[in-house]
Formats: sequence, structure tokens, C-alpha cells
Amino acid sequence: MIRLSRWLDRIGRRLAATPAIGIGLAVALLAISLMLAVHNEGLARAEKTRDAEIQARILAASLAGPLAFDDAAGTREYVEALSRRPDVLVIGAYGDDGRVRASFTRRGRPLPATARIGPPIEAAGELSVTAPVTQSGTRLGSVLLTVATESWWARATRYAGIAIVVVLASLLVAALAIFYAQASAAHRQLTEEIEHRREAEEALRQAQKMEAMGQLTGGVAHDFNNMLMVASSGLDLLDRTDDPAKRARLNDGIRQAIERGAKLTQQLLTFARRSPLTPEVLDIGARIRALQSLLERSLREDIAVDLAIPAGVWPIEVDASQLDVAVLNIAINARDAMPNGGSLRISAANLPGEGDRADMVGLSIRDSGTGIAPELMQKVFEPFFTTKGVGSGTGLGLSQVYGFARSSDGEVRIESQLGDGTTVTLLFPRSSKPLPHRIYRAADQGTADGSRRILIVEDDDHVAELVGQMLQELGYQSVRAQQATEGLDLIGSSGPFDLVLSDMIMPGRMNGLDLAQELGRRHRGLPVILMTGFSEAAASAAAEGIPLLVKPYTIDALGDALRKALR
Amino acid sequence: MLAGAAAPAADPVALEYAVKANYLYKFAPFVRWPAGAFEDASSPLRICIAGSDPFGTTLDKAVVGQQVGGRSIVVRRIGTAPRPRCHILFIGRSAEALATEIAPGEPILTVGDRRRAPAMIQFAVVGGRVRFAVDVGAAQRGNIALSSKLLGLAMEVDR
Repeated sequence: MIRLSRWLDRIGRRLAATPAIGIGLAVALLAISLMLAVHNEGLARAEKTRDAEIQARILAASLAGPLAFDDAAGTREYVEALSRRPDVLVIGAYGDDGRVRASFTRRGRPLPATARIGPPIEAAGELSVTAPVTQSGTRLGSVLLTVATESWWARATRYAGIAIVVVLASLLVAALAIFYAQASAAHRQLTEEIEHRREAEEALRQAQKMEAMGQLTGGVAHDFNNMLMVASSGLDLLDRTDDPAKRARLNDGIRQAIERGAKLTQQLLTFARRSPLTPEVLDIGARIRALQSLLERSLREDIAVDLAIPAGVWPIEVDASQLDVAVLNIAINARDAMPNGGSLRISAANLPGEGDRADMVGLSIRDSGTGIAPELMQKVFEPFFTTKGVGSGTGLGLSQVYGFARSSDGEVRIESQLGDGTTVTLLFPRSSKPLPHRIYRAADQGTADGSRRILIVEDDDHVAELVGQMLQELGYQSVRAQQATEGLDLIGSSGPFDLVLSDMIMPGRMNGLDLAQELGRRHRGLPVILMTGFSEAAASAAAEGIPLLVKPYTIDALGDALRKALR
Repeated sequence: MLAGAAAPAADPVALEYAVKANYLYKFAPFVRWPAGAFEDASSPLRICIAGSDPFGTTLDKAVVGQQVGGRSIVVRRIGTAPRPRCHILFIGRSAEALATEIAPGEPILTVGDRRRAPAMIQFAVVGGRVRFAVDVGAAQRGNIALSSKLLGLAMEVDR
């Protein structure tokens, strides 16, 4: 069975590649049918000849007595009996002197005047056979029997019906083969086109994301500038004062500015990361709250962002990063509609279904801006439609919002009054799936007992120095290697270690990920934590299931990660 | 029945015996003699004429070149000689007494010249045509087997 199915599979693939096999099959079918017809025809003719010969012999045997004793009536009787067969054309009964004793001819056919004994003769649709009349080896006469065989035309007519069926079947096979090959080719082409389209769509989504980011850049740069201002002026002031209380305040201010900056870059990196479109079940409130700081910093300071998302909003199943982009796009439009400042209110609500309408979750973003003119309302979702000046908008923002809503089985509504602001509402179907289980643990502030040894693999001296100090603060011993290979050597010479904390991107032939994989082979059970600031690298580490610290990280985050890894 | 065409048509009696002569040797293929009736495989079939010969040369002419089962045919006129060594014995009307001379079980096909003659096959002329009757019982007593085809052609079959 397996061999058969393999064979069929191979045939199917060849059929898909070219119609030649199918046409060949059709031709073979025709040829076999023709051969069978010829063979059957030969058999039928032999049968007919044998039948005529048997009839002639029976007649000859019956005529022995009548011919021997000149029983003309008896002879005629036998001849007449045989003449009732419709295919009989001529019957001649000859005596031992070779002369006709009785005869029958149909439709004026000639009767040979004298007897002939010989092999069957077939000509012009007539078959003549002869048989001697003998009794105990004594020749008493002979018979001649001529029967009608089917004419070429009659035979052709008889075969025509089946021939038509066979020819049609062959044509069908050939046509199917051609169709199948064409369909396969079309299928291949379609698959390729779908793949190209998918790639193009992915590129478009990324472009839309970067477009949204580009719109954010001004606000983000401004915010960064403020943080740098806080940090640099704070450091200046630190140099000029010895008052511990003042220094502590300054330190706090600087740390807060750096933490804010770190959070912001982290969000930007996450946002910009190229990711495949993967719907996931998510809590819309949590997602928007995570986006809030980015929104606040990237919109202008004269715009107040207000979240009104109650607890208990139903989960939805959408692509998280597309949701972020959609919200940002709407927010950017809102910002541009409020050149003199205003407020942006983001609210979410459950919309229970009625009748055959399913449960939905609505996410509304309302601004207090200029509003949209009624005649433009129909056009705002069209790609490349923009009211902004050249260079300030591509017109792809709301088309991304529309496309995202449609691809998530949702919809988007827009309400606007000139001079009275705009509300964009995204509606998503409620997901029946549960939210993914997340563990939120309060950070353990305790320190280790100083007995654990940690190997730091880091090429940057400053970072290595800082991480070493943080580890010391947390109660760990540490040894530093500059490269992955050096780290492997150190494990051999200065081991054992309880954990390896390695940078992802390092000079040398091994990067952090290679090191982690090598350690997995050589020292199974030795935990590894990777550190990186690059989101692409972070994704590949996550794919390998290796714990990851995203730079810059706080000492608390480091302690937490170490405790988790060493548990 | 058609008369033998070879005989002159003028004399009905000559015609009658021409037909009878023809029949006489044609009985042979429809008859099976017991083993031992012939000396060997090539010995000829003997047709004997007892009593006066009504055939003249007709019979001799009829059998010329004829063969029965690979045997040539010879004609003997035996008059009234006893114990004839024949395969077919034509018993003329004048020699019917000879029939009693034939030993029981002797394999000789006897042919009489009239109906009820003491013979296995008895010629008769019915409606101007030569026909024959068959006495199956007599044939059986003489160890002669007759073909059913011959019986089928007989005008009467006595059992």
C-alpha cells in the first residue's frame, strides 16, 4: 500500500509538472482500445468461420443418407432447415458425381455448378466454407455453405459507439492532465504571489511603524534633552555642594532622569522591533498603560494624556505591536489636530452583544482638536490621504488603523465635529480564550551570602566594572573575562562558578549566544544570563530560552534575575 | 426418388436395376460388419449376386473406381452356390431359397429384390421409385450393424 501510494504520489507530481504524461496515458488508452478491438475482431472472425464450418459439417453429416440414396426430398429438407439462418446466403448439396442435388440461394446469388472442397474463402462480406459428405470413409458428396460476414461498414458502426466512448474518455484524461498541470502551475504561482504579498505586507507594517516612530521623534528628543539636562546639571551641582541631604536629592533626581530615559529607549526599541504578525490574547488596559509613558513623552507637553480604562475589560486577541502602532497613529493625528494644546483621553469599555452581534471591546481615543470636516470623513481611511502639509505626514496612519481593525475582525468608527474634537473608536471581538498566565513577583530585596561565584563575560571595561560592583553589592563574588573563549578557559582554570553573566555582542569568534550554547554542551546545569541592549539579539536569545537582561538594567533587576537563575 | 441418371431412360426396368445397382454398393458405408468379416485391412468388399443377374453390366460399371472405407469393390455372380463368402449378397427373386442356406451368424448383408423377401434389406418399387425396407432383427441375427441414417431412409423398418 505504501509503495502504491508513493507511486501515485510520484505520478501526481509528474502530472503536475507536465501534461505530457496525461496525454501519453490518453494515447496509451486509445492504442490499447484499438488493439483490443483488432484482437476481438480477429477472434470474432475466427469464431464466425468455425461456426460456418460446423454448420457445413452438420449439414454434410445429415446429408449422407439422402445423398447416397437419392432422397431429394430429404436433402432439400436439410438444406431448407439450414437456410432459415438469416446469415446464410448460399447452400449447395453436391452428390458424389459433383453435381448439384439441392441448393438454396438468397437474393439471386450464384451457385457454383460443381462441387469444390477447399479452405474457407472470405471475400466481400461473404464467407464460403465446404465440407465433404462421407460415411465410413466413403465420399458421398459435398456441401457448400456461404454465409454473410459483417461488412466493414457494419463492423465500424458496431464499434462506433464504444469508439466514441473511448475517444471521449481519452480526451477527458488528456484534458484533465492539461488542466491539472495548469492548475498546479497556477497554484505554484499563487503560492509565490501570496509569499511576495506577505513579505510586502510585513515590509509595509514595519514601514508604518517606523513612520509612526518618525512622527514621535521630535517629542522623544525633547524629552531626552530634558533628562540629559537634569543629569548634567545635577552632576554640576553635585560637584559644588557637600551637603549630604542636597547630594542625596541630586542623586535621586539624576537616577530618576536616567531611569526615565532607559524606560523610554526600551519602549522605542520594543516598538521598532521587526516582528511577525502574531495575534495574542491580551489585556487592553495593561497594554495601553505600558504605552502611556511613551505617549506622554512623545506628544507635546501641552497635551494632557488621560487614561480611563476600568478593570474587567474583556481580553481581545490581536497583534500587540500593531495595536500599539494603531494607538500611536491615532494619537499623532490627535496631536496634529491640537496645535494649541488640548487633551487626549483614551478609554476602553465592554460592549455586550445584542442579537447576533457578538461581544465587543471598544477602545476610544478622543481629542479636543479641530475636528474633521464632514466632506473629508469618508476619505480619512484611504491610503495616502492626508490633510497635513508635504513632509509632515504620509497619509498611511489611519489606513494602518483601518487595516489593523479589519484584519483583527474588528472595525473602526470615527466621529467628529468641526471645532469640537474627534473620537476614533476601535472595536475588537471579545476573545473567549483566557489571558496568558503571568507571574508578578514582588522583587526580593535581600542579598546573597557572598559564597556564590559569578563569571562576567563582557568586553566593555566600564560596563564590566559597574556590573562587578553591582554583584558585590548584591553579595556575589565575580570574575571577569573579556571574551567568550577566555570565559571558557576561566571556567576550566578558576572554577567552579555558580552562574555565567555574559554580554550578547562581543568581539571574537563566539558571541554570547554561542557561549551559552557551548556551556550548555560542556557544563550542563551551569546557569547563563545574557545581557544586551539590542532588541534583535534579545529576540534570538528568547527563542533559545535563555534568560536575558536588557541593558540598561537596574541593580534590582539584576538581583532578581540572578535569584531566579540560581534557584 | 430420383432414378439413377446414368441409365438409359427408355427402359423402366433397366432404370430400376441401374438404381438398385447404385444402392447396392452404397449400403456399404452405412453397414458395420463384425471383426473377422474381412481377411485384412486391404481385402476388397465382395458384392455377390445370387440367382440370375438382373443388372447386366450396370453394377460392374457402377463400382468401378469406387471405394468403401478404403476397400475396393468386387462383384461376383455366384449363381446358387451354397455358403457364399460375400459381404453383400443380392438375392434375386429366383434364388430366395438360398437365403436359408446361409448359416446363422454369418456376417453377410442380404438384400432381397422384393418386399418381404428373406433378406435384411428388401428393395421395393413404390410409386415408380426404388425404395427399401429394413429388417433389423434379421440384421442383428447376422451380426450386421446398420446405421441409423439407413434406417431413417428406409420406407419401413421391421424389428
